[in-house]
Amino acid sequence: MITQEKYRSKVKKLLADGSVKMVIGYSPGSTADRRRPLFIRSFEEADQLVLDSNCIANLSGYLVTEGLLSDEKRVAIFLRPEGIRSLNILAAESQLNVDQIIIFGFDSIGREVNSLPGEHADEFSEFIGSIKENPPEKSREPLLYQLEQMNPQERFAFWKEEFSRCIKCYACRQSCPMCYCRRCVVDSNQPQWVNTSSHTLGNFEWNIVRAFHLAGRCVGCGNCDRSCPVNIPLRLINAKMSEEVLGSFNHFAGMSTTQEPVLASFKKEDSETFIL
Amino acid sequence: MAKIGVFICHCGENIASKVDCTKLAAAIGEHPGVAVSVEYKYFCSEPGQESVKKAIRDNNLTGVIIAACSPRMHEATFRKVCAEAGLNPYLCEIANIREQCSWVHTDKDMATEKAMDITRSMIEKVKRNNKLQPIEVPVTRRALVIGGGVAGIQAALDIANAGQEVVLVEREPSLGGHMSQLSETFPTLDCSQCILTPRMVEVAQHPKIRLLTYAEVEHVDGFIGNFKVKIRMKSRYVNRDVCTGCGDCMVKCPVKKISSEFDCGLGKRTAIYTPFAQSVPNIPVIDKASCIYFKNGKCKTCMKSCQINAINFDMQDEFIDLEIGAIVVATGFQIQNTAGYGEYGYGKYPDVITGLQFERLATASGPTSGKILRPSDGKEPETVVFIQCAGSRDPSKGVRYCSKICCMYTAKHAMLYAHKVHHGKSHVFYMDIRAAGKGYDEFTRRTIEEDDASYVRGRVSKVWLENGKLMVRGVDTLLGRPVTIPADMVVLATAMVPQPNAIEFAKTIGIAYDEYGYYNEAHLKLRPVESSSAGIFLAGACQSPKDIPDSIAQASASASKVLALFSKETLEREPVVASTNEATCAGCWGCVLACPYNAIEQKDILDRSGRIIKSVASVNPGLCQGCGTCVTFCRSNSIDLAGFTEKQIFAEMMAL
Ligand SMILES: Cc1cc2nc3c(=O)[nH]c(=O)nc-3n(C[C@H](O)[C@H](O)[C@H](O)COP(=O)(O)OP(=O)(O)OC[C@H]3O[C@@H](n4cnc5c(N)ncnc54)[C@H](O)[C@@H]3O)c2cc1C
Ligand code: SF4
Ligand code: SF4
Ligand code: SF4
Ligand code: SF4
Repeated sequence: MITQEKYRSKVKKLLADGSVKMVIGYSPGSTADRRRPLFIRSFEEADQLVLDSNCIANLSGYLVTEGLLSDEKRVAIFLRPEGIRSLNILAAESQLNVDQIIIFGFDSIGREVNSLPGEHADEFSEFIGSIKENPPEKSREPLLYQLEQMNPQERFAFWKEEFSRCIKCYACRQSCPMCYCRRCVVDSNQPQWVNTSSHTLGNFEWNIVRAFHLAGRCVGCGNCDRSCPVNIPLRLINAKMSEEVLGSFNHFAGMSTTQEPVLASFKKEDSETFIL
Repeated sequence: MAKIGVFICHCGENIASKVDCTKLAAAIGEHPGVAVSVEYKYFCSEPGQESVKKAIRDNNLTGVIIAACSPRMHEATFRKVCAEAGLNPYLCEIANIREQCSWVHTDKDMATEKAMDITRSMIEKVKRNNKLQPIEVPVTRRALVIGGGVAGIQAALDIANAGQEVVLVEREPSLGGHMSQLSETFPTLDCSQCILTPRMVEVAQHPKIRLLTYAEVEHVDGFIGNFKVKIRMKSRYVNRDVCTGCGDCMVKCPVKKISSEFDCGLGKRTAIYTPFAQSVPNIPVIDKASCIYFKNGKCKTCMKSCQINAINFDMQDEFIDLEIGAIVVATGFQIQNTAGYGEYGYGKYPDVITGLQFERLATASGPTSGKILRPSDGKEPETVVFIQCAGSRDPSKGVRYCSKICCMYTAKHAMLYAHKVHHGKSHVFYMDIRAAGKGYDEFTRRTIEEDDASYVRGRVSKVWLENGKLMVRGVDTLLGRPVTIPADMVVLATAMVPQPNAIEFAKTIGIAYDEYGYYNEAHLKLRPVESSSAGIFLAGACQSPKDIPDSIAQASASASKVLALFSKETLEREPVVASTNEATCAGCWGCVLACPYNAIEQKDILDRSGRIIKSVASVNPGLCQGCGTCVTFCRSNSIDLAGFTEKQIFAEMMAL
């Protein structure tokens, strides 16, 4: 266990000796148990740093903010295991140079925060491999089992009901570190593949496209799910998709900075059951 | 303003019997932008084509829809028609109302409705078509033939004799394939070696053929006219360039009792060996698994015996990179493992053998010098039972298809046996006699009528040993009663199956295969020698069970396809190629990885001072094959495919 204070002084040291230009972490939020992202460039800002079990948002998406890393200076960031995995994907998809990133890895059990050893993304590969092999027990949602019990009509009805609340705010997209495209497919209107109106068809189109684009990439950080203002259980879709990809192609998203994207790489041993 | 001409073909009765073409033409005539909507019995006929040309000229059409059969049939025909009438050929589209409509529906009203939908959807597409120009790509005039059986040999010789370069790759130490194992060949009983060996020698000596034996294709990249191929030269441990083939090493090798693969286990070979005496090239290889030196570091007897120091135990596999324009796949077949047929006693009783083993017994150069002798005691069998379809046409244990050659070679075996063992008696259990082929039925009749083979129609249920005799129990279905024949030898006509690595190999070179692992032709009837990939052709038994005449015919056909491709320096390619949107590309490089033709590169966009602003994906139109894989991958919708643009496809879908 390492205290918040120790981290604050660590951050200050990094800034003072110029090893990083910024540290991305957490600060207190609007309520006692909410945290908001903090971008630390000064000692004063460092004093606002909080690290506790309420720090759950995956901050890695901020790294691909236009221009942040283009000066080739380094940035440090607080990341949970999911965050490290999404950082790996960003690196694997050439969105950033992972050598510019210093990781403060942490995890929490109950209220207790543990720091993860390592600094560079490559140092966490073994740790991530162990998560793949032994996923934490608690992680599978009971609702997933229920959905699997349903027949296709019932499942469709379930999602129709859920998606009917979608207001197309795209908060799920904005919060997801994997949604870094300069122009999202929903914003391309020549032709307009995804209907922008919030009706059943448009909502299905959007949520299905989103699910496909995250197949083999979602790390289950929960940013999308938490940011959805109408509480659509997006985590269920993502979790199911991750299980499918793991089962079919033995692909666990974010294993390393060089992992090939599952939908773009073809291996001789890939199952071809879907080819008639 | 769009002026679309729609030409609705009856295809005789093929379409007209299920689609009301008159009603279709009337309804389509009402569709916005349609200037001409007519029907005709056969638009592909000469008058049909002329009427399309006339309509284009008379009405200044801006697009043409042929509502007819699959574009695979006649897209090229009608594009040419349009070009001849002065319309860019890529402004012509086919609405498939035959395969996708009339052939698969029975209700005429509903089929007509569907034909309207299909046609309207293509009209909306063609309104958004762009004029495209074909792309020219250079052709490397060098062919690769994979497999040195009779099919590969024929293809290589035909191409080389026409003056083009050939590289022939054979994975075994010698050319020849199965034909070199055969005794005499139906239907004329020529000695197999006598007609094959001269061709093997011709291949080896041909100035236009580069023969690579004991070699395998590791990797194939590229596309028609421009393949890049990596070949692994397996280490022979004998220097190919200096070995004279004197054979001293083989005589001296102390490991002499290895079961010979070439003789199907009926003969023996040494650890340093050539598969057979007439091997081409006549250069031995060391079988690493059996060689004493490789096992415990002592021996090197062969090395000492070699006068010219051709043997090198440190030899490593080597790799050769080749630029290739066309590929002929002639990797042949294997015979099925008979282990599944325990009731026939193969493997249990030494005198139950396969047809291929019988060939080795009947060959003058074989382990018995051509005498039919039982493997168990070397005696001449007085009664032989041949069991046809041992594996073929047996969905429960063997393969569902007919191996096509077994009826013929069994007749041949019975005939050879009669010629060699005059007092012998043969019985043949068969399901049907399938002897379709020039001189084939006559051949089987001769076996029955002149060589006194008694044919029993029925299957064998069991073979067991009793008092030194192999008891063969079966049914005679014509007489409707069980029969038991005591025999001295039993010969199984085992099924022909694809090479064990056929599917894996198909993936290496990128061609399609069927449920068994035989390689698929582009069209079973119309394009039987082309594979599913342009520039890759098929020859011989790798495509389906075949006899020698069929294998050779297909090899020559493949060769002529290769030569047609090599007849020009460049190749005109469809301009269906992808292009990226540099403004929206996110630079994830997924498409670079996904493209099966390595056609996408990273391109840096620089500012005035030469600094990289960003890197984006960029398609090389010379390499792109228009498969569309990248389009489906790109999450940011930054790739579009000419001829199948998103706008076209969207319009097509929205018209439904
Ligand atoms: C028992 C028996 C009797 C027969 N008798 C007759 C007869 O009397 N008359 C007749 O017309 N037909 C006969 N046949 C059929 C005849 O053997 C075949 O038609 C013929 O051998 C097919 O030739 P091929 O070149 O296609 O295949 P193969 O002869 O199998 O040759 C394929 C070659 O490709 C090589 N190869 C395979 N994979 C690779 C690879 N990946 N890379 C490089 N090289 C590779 C193999 O080593 C082999 O040399 C008989 C067949 C059998 C089994
Ligand atoms: S889809 Fe949701 S859970 Fe998955 S990586 Fe994106 S934000 Fe995280
Ligand atoms: S965050 Fe929720 S409401 Fe907003 S677009 Fe996503 S799913 Fe719809
Ligand atoms: S997949 Fe799309 S976004 Fe990614 S590099 Fe290719 S064109 Fe660009
Ligand atoms: S369409 Fe795309 S994936 Fe297919 S060959 Fe062209 S660039 Fe490659």
